[in-house]
Amino acid sequence: MSGQRAFNLLKEHQQTTDRLISNFNSEDLRAILEEINIAFQENHQDALKFQETRDKTLFPMIGYRHALLQRNLRCTLAYLYNRLMKLKEIRWHLGPVITPDIKEALTEPEIQWFNNYSKLLTNYMTSFPDAINLMTDIKPPKALFIEVKCLIDHGKLELENGETVLLQRNSIHYLPRTECEHLIRQGILEHISH
Amino acid sequence: MFVSDLKNDFFNLLPGKRVIVICNVDIDAIVSSKILQTLFRNENIIFSVAPILGIKGLKRTFDENKEDCNIFLFINCGGCIDLVDLLQPDDNIVFFICDSHRPLDLCNAYSDSQVRILGDYRSEEDMPQFEQIFRDSDSENDSADDEIEDEENTENSNHRPTTHIEKFERRLRKNREKRDWEKARDRVLFNYSQYSYYARSTSIVIYELAWKMSKDSLDLLWWAIIGITEQLLLGKIESSVYTLETQRIQSHVSRLSNKINENSHTAIRITYENDLYLALYRHWSVKESIKNSIYSACRMKLWTLNGKKKLNELLVEMGLPLAQARQQFNSMDLLMKKDFYQMIEKTAEKYNMPGIIYGSFTLQYGYKNRYSAADYVYSMMALIEQIDHERTAESCFIDALESLSRNKKNMLESGIDKAKVLLDSIFKQVKTSLETQQIHSAGPFLYVIFQDENIQFSSPYALTMLAKFMLNGFVAVSRSRRSRDLPLIICIPVDLTREICLMIGIPPIGDDSKNLFGKAFEQAAIKSNAAISQDFFDTNIIQIKQSDCPKFIDALTVLLSS
Repeated sequence: MSGQRAFNLLKEHQQTTDRLISNFNSEDLRAILEEINIAFQENHQDALKFQETRDKTLFPMIGYRHALLQRNLRCTLAYLYNRLMKLKEIRWHLGPVITPDIKEALTEPEIQWFNNYSKLLTNYMTSFPDAINLMTDIKPPKALFIEVKCLIDHGKLELENGETVLLQRNSIHYLPRTECEHLIRQGILEHISH
Repeated sequence: MFVSDLKNDFFNLLPGKRVIVICNVDIDAIVSSKILQTLFRNENIIFSVAPILGIKGLKRTFDENKEDCNIFLFINCGGCIDLVDLLQPDDNIVFFICDSHRPLDLCNAYSDSQVRILGDYRSEEDMPQFEQIFRDSDSENDSADDEIEDEENTENSNHRPTTHIEKFERRLRKNREKRDWEKARDRVLFNYSQYSYYARSTSIVIYELAWKMSKDSLDLLWWAIIGITEQLLLGKIESSVYTLETQRIQSHVSRLSNKINENSHTAIRITYENDLYLALYRHWSVKESIKNSIYSACRMKLWTLNGKKKLNELLVEMGLPLAQARQQFNSMDLLMKKDFYQMIEKTAEKYNMPGIIYGSFTLQYGYKNRYSAADYVYSMMALIEQIDHERTAESCFIDALESLSRNKKNMLESGIDKAKVLLDSIFKQVKTSLETQQIHSAGPFLYVIFQDENIQFSSPYALTMLAKFMLNGFVAVSRSRRSRDLPLIICIPVDLTREICLMIGIPPIGDDSKNLFGKAFEQAAIKSNAAISQDFFDTNIIQIKQSDCPKFIDALTVLLSS
């Protein structure tokens, strides 16, 4: 009865690094809600008692429980909110389709929210005359070209200007960023940073 | 064709086009390609870098890419072979060559415009004149011309009667002239191609291009310094050439250093200072470093019992306690660390090591990172050598290339650790070979033939180091004065299942870096009918079938005795 649980919940969310989003912890959440409920009930009774007896010694306990209640509330809301923000991030980076392992970690309302958000975003992007894809280049690139090294024999790659580049294992290329981004995602190329 | 104005006649032709850089796997080529990559990035020139190991690789890479690109740049490869003959390129393909191997192939040098060599033709003093080598237009068609003339003559016989004897005499005279000319040409060609040696390091040439374009920086300069230090450490150039070059580099250093703030201690800084021919001593223990460096080890004969005693004596005289000498240089007492250079300098004379000091450059950035150019060279050398069943020479090339970036420090450090292992095994091998007297004299040269496969020495760099160490060591212990003037050949199996050996020939010790084995190997192979493959761009290294070794050595003996 000290708000520790709510705090742990948030910590768990923040410390999940091995996967994109932690499992929705409904068990802990229910326990916290219970905690809030109990605190509220007790405060309610104490408040009634105070009206009868005018006993000022009840005040500190009421104050404590109120703070606890509010803190739990805040943590819970923060937990839910941050999960949604994470989902938003996932939408921006990975696109409108959620993979099964992410889906597993979500609750039904969250999935609903994700789909709605996705719909909104798509609608917004298609509302422009030539449908801008806002997903590319979330941060403006510093250079139009990047240096990549080729990890496997891939064969020829045709550039937009019609030139072809032979991608062979262990060769280094300097290519337009847009052309090699998807190859980097596929693990064929690797970006060399300086 | 030579291109001496690199900026206008080479670099300014490139923007908007795609360049394929074909790069030999050696340190000089790696740093050159690193500098070039920076320049290309600045100008947004699309390029690809393809590392290759030998002539076969060069041909394969060219064939795979020839349809996609018109401009090929060869770094430290291709200069000594007739590229047009080898690759059969289309007319619209242009080759640029930046190669420190000499002698250059004359067909490349006198090509009209397809093959362009980056460099100044004035520095190629030994190159024969065009007229001495080529006369094809009149000589090859000679006989045909004669026939036509003859026919004309017979037609016009009424006007100018010529007897058969006159015609015959004229043809005879022509033939004699031709023969004389051919003889002279062969002599000139032989003199020209007899010795293989190295010219200015490619990295310096490329750096000067960057300088002329005002794109130079301390980073680029540092990479160029690594290139030239490699040439010195492997004996590719004479130390006098190196000294001259360092003076020029110093002026670059001071010019570039003035630009940055003097007060900032963390900024990148290059300093010129006297250094010691002790391998990696800043990252090793003093004792190990002295033991595994060619110069100090050979002067004190450290593989013998006496040598070990002498080393201890030296340490005593220097005032360096054994406990300090055995631990990492970085962890030594601050005072001793600071005075280490002076201590060596003072005692070097007495221990017969006057040449242990040489001028070198050190790179410092941040508070902690301090490397000398030689450290980089050893580290990269070890990274290049990491060839085994999974790693090809090409991926080693990429590793070495990455270790040059300052933010990939761990790569450099791992290279340094590997270099220590390599140097250590070289020392052990030299010790065993000298103790068991595996070095034989064939008259005009010394040779060592190993019977066992040793993965560590199966690549050119390690083998070169081993050969140098071995020769210096042998000369140090040899009683005969003649051994000073003898070159050395080492033959080591690299693939016992296919019976393939790697053979290297190095010139005698001393300051002359000209190597006659490239041509000699070629001749000996023809004479002895041995199966060899001269695939490397360093012609003094060949692959040979193990069973052919004895007769090949015999042929070489005959050839060099005459």
